[in-house]
Amino acid sequence: MSVSNLLENWSQVRHEHPVNDKPHDPYKWAMAIDLDACTGCNACSVACYAENNLPVVGKEKFQHGQQMHWMRVERYWDEDGREFPDQGFQFLPMMCQQCEAAPCETVCPVAATNHTADGLNSQIYNRCIGSRYCSANCPFKVRYFNWYDYPTTENVWPAEMTQQLNPDVSVRGKGVMEKCTFCVQRLSAAKVTAKGEGRIVREGEVQTACQQACPTSAISFGNIVNPESRVHKQWAAQQVELDKDKQAKNEKEEGPGLRGYRILEELRAYPSVMYLERVRESAV
Amino acid sequence: MIDSDSVKQLAGHPFDRRDFLKVLGWSGTAVALSGCGNTSIEDGRETVVSYVEASDYMVPGIGVYYNSTCAQCDAGCNINGRVREGRVLKLEGNPDSGINKGKLCGLGQAGVQHHYNPDRVREPLLRNGSKGEAITWDKAYALIAEKLAGVQGDEIAFLSGGMSGHLKVLLGNYLDSLGTRNHFVYEAIAPSVVRAANVKAYGVEMPRYRLDKAKVVLSFGADFLGAWVSPVHFSQQYAQFRKGVDGQRGVLIQVESKMTLTGANADRWLVVKPGTEGVLALGIINVLGTATGDVAELVKGYDPVRVSRETGVSVSHIEKVAALLRMRSPSLVLAGSAAEGYAHGSQNAAAINLLNQVLGNVGKTIEAPVSVPFPQMAPAKGNTAALKSLNDGLAAGKYKVVFNFAANPVFTAPGAMKFKDNFAKAGFKVAFAHYLDETALQADLVLPLDSALEDWGTQVPEYMTEGAQINIQQPLMERLHANTRGMGDIVLALLKQRKADEYKGFEDYYAYLRGAMLQNKGALGGGGVDDDTFWNETLTRGIVKLAGATGALTTHATAAGLVFPAHKEADEHYPLHLIPGVTASLRDGRHTNQPWLQESPDPLTTIVWDSWVEIHPKKATELGIVEGDIVEVTSRTGSVKAQVYLFPGIHPEAVSIPVGRGHDAMGRYAKGYGVNPFQIMDTVFEAATGELAMHETRVKISKTGQRVLVVKDEGAAGALQMGRKIASRVSTDQIDLSKEV
Amino acid sequence: MKDIREDIAWAKINQDVMKSLENPRKLYWVILFFALMAFGFGLGCEVYQYQTGMGVANLNNPQVWGLYIATFIFWIGMSHSGTLLSAILHLMHADWRKPIYRFAEAMTTFSLMTAGLFVMVHIGRLWQFYYALPYPNDRGIWPNFQSPLLWDAMAIFTYLSSSVLFLFVGMIPDLAIARDNMQAGWRQKLYTLLALGWEGTDRQWRNFRVTYLTIACFLIPLAVSVHSIVASDFAMSQQPGWHVTSFPPYFVAGALYSGCAAIITLFIILRYVFKFEEYMTLPILKKIVRLTFAIAMVWTYLNAVEFASVWYSHDQVSKDVLIQKMTGNYSPFWWGMIFCGSVVPLVFAIKRFQTNIPVLFATSLLLNLGMWLERWMIVAPTFSHGYYPWTWDHDQWPSIVQWGMVFGSFGWFTLLFLLFCKVFPSVSMYEVKEMVYHRTLHLKKSETAEQGAH
Repeated sequence: MSVSNLLENWSQVRHEHPVNDKPHDPYKWAMAIDLDACTGCNACSVACYAENNLPVVGKEKFQHGQQMHWMRVERYWDEDGREFPDQGFQFLPMMCQQCEAAPCETVCPVAATNHTADGLNSQIYNRCIGSRYCSANCPFKVRYFNWYDYPTTENVWPAEMTQQLNPDVSVRGKGVMEKCTFCVQRLSAAKVTAKGEGRIVREGEVQTACQQACPTSAISFGNIVNPESRVHKQWAAQQVELDKDKQAKNEKEEGPGLRGYRILEELRAYPSVMYLERVRESAV
Repeated sequence: MIDSDSVKQLAGHPFDRRDFLKVLGWSGTAVALSGCGNTSIEDGRETVVSYVEASDYMVPGIGVYYNSTCAQCDAGCNINGRVREGRVLKLEGNPDSGINKGKLCGLGQAGVQHHYNPDRVREPLLRNGSKGEAITWDKAYALIAEKLAGVQGDEIAFLSGGMSGHLKVLLGNYLDSLGTRNHFVYEAIAPSVVRAANVKAYGVEMPRYRLDKAKVVLSFGADFLGAWVSPVHFSQQYAQFRKGVDGQRGVLIQVESKMTLTGANADRWLVVKPGTEGVLALGIINVLGTATGDVAELVKGYDPVRVSRETGVSVSHIEKVAALLRMRSPSLVLAGSAAEGYAHGSQNAAAINLLNQVLGNVGKTIEAPVSVPFPQMAPAKGNTAALKSLNDGLAAGKYKVVFNFAANPVFTAPGAMKFKDNFAKAGFKVAFAHYLDETALQADLVLPLDSALEDWGTQVPEYMTEGAQINIQQPLMERLHANTRGMGDIVLALLKQRKADEYKGFEDYYAYLRGAMLQNKGALGGGGVDDDTFWNETLTRGIVKLAGATGALTTHATAAGLVFPAHKEADEHYPLHLIPGVTASLRDGRHTNQPWLQESPDPLTTIVWDSWVEIHPKKATELGIVEGDIVEVTSRTGSVKAQVYLFPGIHPEAVSIPVGRGHDAMGRYAKGYGVNPFQIMDTVFEAATGELAMHETRVKISKTGQRVLVVKDEGAAGALQMGRKIASRVSTDQIDLSKEV
Repeated sequence: MKDIREDIAWAKINQDVMKSLENPRKLYWVILFFALMAFGFGLGCEVYQYQTGMGVANLNNPQVWGLYIATFIFWIGMSHSGTLLSAILHLMHADWRKPIYRFAEAMTTFSLMTAGLFVMVHIGRLWQFYYALPYPNDRGIWPNFQSPLLWDAMAIFTYLSSSVLFLFVGMIPDLAIARDNMQAGWRQKLYTLLALGWEGTDRQWRNFRVTYLTIACFLIPLAVSVHSIVASDFAMSQQPGWHVTSFPPYFVAGALYSGCAAIITLFIILRYVFKFEEYMTLPILKKIVRLTFAIAMVWTYLNAVEFASVWYSHDQVSKDVLIQKMTGNYSPFWWGMIFCGSVVPLVFAIKRFQTNIPVLFATSLLLNLGMWLERWMIVAPTFSHGYYPWTWDHDQWPSIVQWGMVFGSFGWFTLLFLLFCKVFPSVSMYEVKEMVYHRTLHLKKSETAEQGAH
């Protein structure tokens, strides 16, 4: 327990973001969501409830803003005061953006939220003391706190429904923070299988629950380090670079002509989720 | 997760399924219970199975995957269930399915909550005053036999939701044995008018729509991404359509009076005066100018100025839409529930179909459907016309014994029908029920059903894709409650009461199903394979894919019989149209007791756990209403009170209340949340088909003075992004999609 | 106007102060009762919250902190007055601080103890709070030293322990007086123990002076740092309305401000309750009032700096938060804060009110209300109107549980203070004597000068 020991541990936990000193190898999980394909149907959100043991908080707690949907589908319409939203709405599936320089990680007093070697923003439920500073510092407000002890709350999981709970995912008790994990339980299982076979996880071998459910395949997910992955190709084609807070393509005068962007990129959190702008036909 | 090879290996392992379930079931329960408590094992009520000696297919900590069929709606998506330690945990789409190709909607995902629902009926219940008294199955069957004794065939009625496959066949046999033809098939929400119009226009009820081949889709109120026909399938086609060919992205134009999920995804959402969809279609034909013969004659009067006046759509939009349709071919025009829900719904649908024919889409984006080689297994469909005739019979006191299965007419029948009162006039009412829903509560005998994840069955979807298919439904786990039964088993038991000799060979419905399938092994693609192999392979796949015959479609455009009613004046006392909103997750309310669906925000308003009245902000200002005001919505039939949500995607002369909520029974998650707009629906019927015109109810609204906080996911900023780049949008002329991945 | 009399006998000073340790008056019991009630209610709320979950406080996503953190900052702020009076003014040889610094110093300690409670009640898993402590463990798990919250915990703990030490050291000569004037009993035992064998020898006095001065010097940077670090909780975050460079000085100014205001309140109460009119004189009050006025103006200026820097920063998001504070749901509270914090202190500029006890009492309460509102207006609006409009909330009104704990904290503070007053001398006897001595010297000097002139 010497100070040098402490500092050594420290340097392992906190390396520079986005990782220049430690390139992601062999994994960096990332996502791309095509908003033109997203129809706002909420299948992803329900799939997330099913996969990740999310509690249904009920009407009263929802009213107090205590809902627990890791994946929420936001809906926007035009701000220009037109009478009807005659170009439709914009839907946006929003979950933890797994930022490379996550604002939540640095502020946690007990280091319960960390960056993993494969580029995830992890949350250690057992370590969390519930200061909620991470949520306070999250620009996207995608962290959800267990305001109550849901496993013992009436009608959240009646006896029969506990049998549906995914044994690969912890059921969280009161007072801890939680959020989207990119279905880390699936990733870990896939990585273990791959490791046993002496290879890395193949493209398409692992899917997140939201991606798997999405009826329009708007969500793609994978290892962005792997040049064969769809996610890598999408990010490359859209010229969105993970470790930039200003994309070179946006500097061009005539506009990028590409629709990849990251939300609140200018905050330098380096999110791992790229969105593709919704497209609207100009001819009608 | 384990890799797909070993999944297949495990899933396809040729062992006897019954044995498997027996072992899996009770050991699984033991594991399940020991995981989170310790009482039952300590009490000695459960037996522990040693993992050391477990059978090959029991791998602790490893999921086993089984294919089955989703029963949450009638689209017939094929599912793949993850089972661990004997419990089904999660449903995914079956990647081999032509319908949903590995995808599953939120409603389908919630299927596990149907199965594990704490409010399921667990014992046969016999009415004793206002209470239900638990009885044994033997007693229940004996009681049915007793009540049926001496009753004439036409004094018996069987009401059911849509059904298909072997269950339909078996039920048909049972009804034959009773000598009754009174099988009423009733789905509260069904595209029945469009089906009838399609038969006239194309010669088939439901052709195969190819969104993926269309460059422009013009949809008149068809919510194909939300709740129309086969939404998961259409969503996949939609994704294709948006990608387009050669980077030319498909264009979606939605015409409706109340925005649906599909409308919210349109490139151009055109709001029309309720009921004038057909007029707009004729107006577009007029502008296109390519129609000949009697069609040209018909549309001559529908010049853009007149159409614009009647529909409220601007002349320039009509012309732009027509220009786009002319420019980009093939296109696809769809008639949906918003167009058909009027007294002249058939005319609307016919006009819309006519537009398809004028555009030459038939044969290109509208293809002939395949038919299943076993017509007796094809889905039985029906809508309110069937319910109406049952209701008339009930009102006349005609029926001595009434059965109800997979329908909840007390909840979904339009209020003006007074179905509940009439239902009470039946002598003996048997409900096959999953929950004690509104209809089951009125029954004399309630028989508890297995969930779709515990039961055997086959299903033939109405809307099929490449080739025909028979969907297999198989148990993913052992019965959760000892005293529930599969519908097939019940019908078989009842049938044995009538024709013991014919059916004595079948121990249970599983035996019947297996026998029936094996009998037609050759036709089902199993020629030359031994029975067990065929059967196991069929179960492994969960789908029987068949070639199926494809007919030809009528391509000839004709305006015969297309006469629009004169423009109706506004109703002085009830100035607003009531548009019942059909949402993707709640549909007709049969799954409202699944908490995931209650808490899943409505995509358009983001409201949860409650009903709302959608009003256009302009109209609301006029009436002095703000969000959260409780208003009373009154029709000629009745009134409901609900909170207001200001919604720009609705015609100012219309209000919309979603259906599916407002249960006063069913279970803890459904009861007491929201209001039921079916209650205030007038009985206006569509002229040609006699189906309920769901959009014809007129209402007025008045403030009650109360105000609540609307429980919704949307924050205080509403739908605004406050200048941040959050959900961004770009127009096609600024973007080159051809290089995208 | 009567100031401390130079001819007051040293024995009388002892007598007067020691009297405050005797059996209390009826009013004391009444206040004690209400303090207990308030504390009990707060405690009940905490027990309920602990059992049920933080949700009962009506906190939500994004409003995750609510009144707890706001009131925490408020109490930290309150603590600054004691340090200001006892340490800073000590170094500046401001004699007038002498009769009042003891209770100000006690106030520091008790406000810190109150603030600490809020850190505790606000965390979701109170039973695991020790994870935040850097205790050695064989798994090599440490707290996150990057987190301002951890700095905060450390700063507060250091400050608290130093304050206790400072309070105690400064009290030693008085404890010896108390020891010598007490009849045998538990009190005398206590004082004997705490007086550390003080005999008043020259060597002891010399050592005492050096120690006291050293701690005073040590405490001043601590006082500045502790509130700067509390400010860092906000300024180091990325959120609009918090990410402001001027926050540390702004927080320190606010802290001194609320501390001074609290001193005025307590000064008046103690003066009345313990009949300390002879020591806590109006000229002293006047000096405090003038100091408070000066700090109020500094605070107002820093406020203006903050608004201006946000307004001219082209940071639209921060600007939105500011606009929201001025015009949105919070506007009554925000304008209340401006009124109480910047307008009300103008009363102090009017000479006639500088010694008007009822006016000063009411004003000081308003100032503290304003400072509490300030803390709330720092915390809450940023949560409600952060970067992400979708999560802007519409139901962030704190529940009775939160209010209960806020009220309970005042009860707890009062309770501690009342106990302190009856156990320890709340006016420094030896320093008052010093003051009288200085005055006598001064008087003599001027008399000599006068005589010389003749």
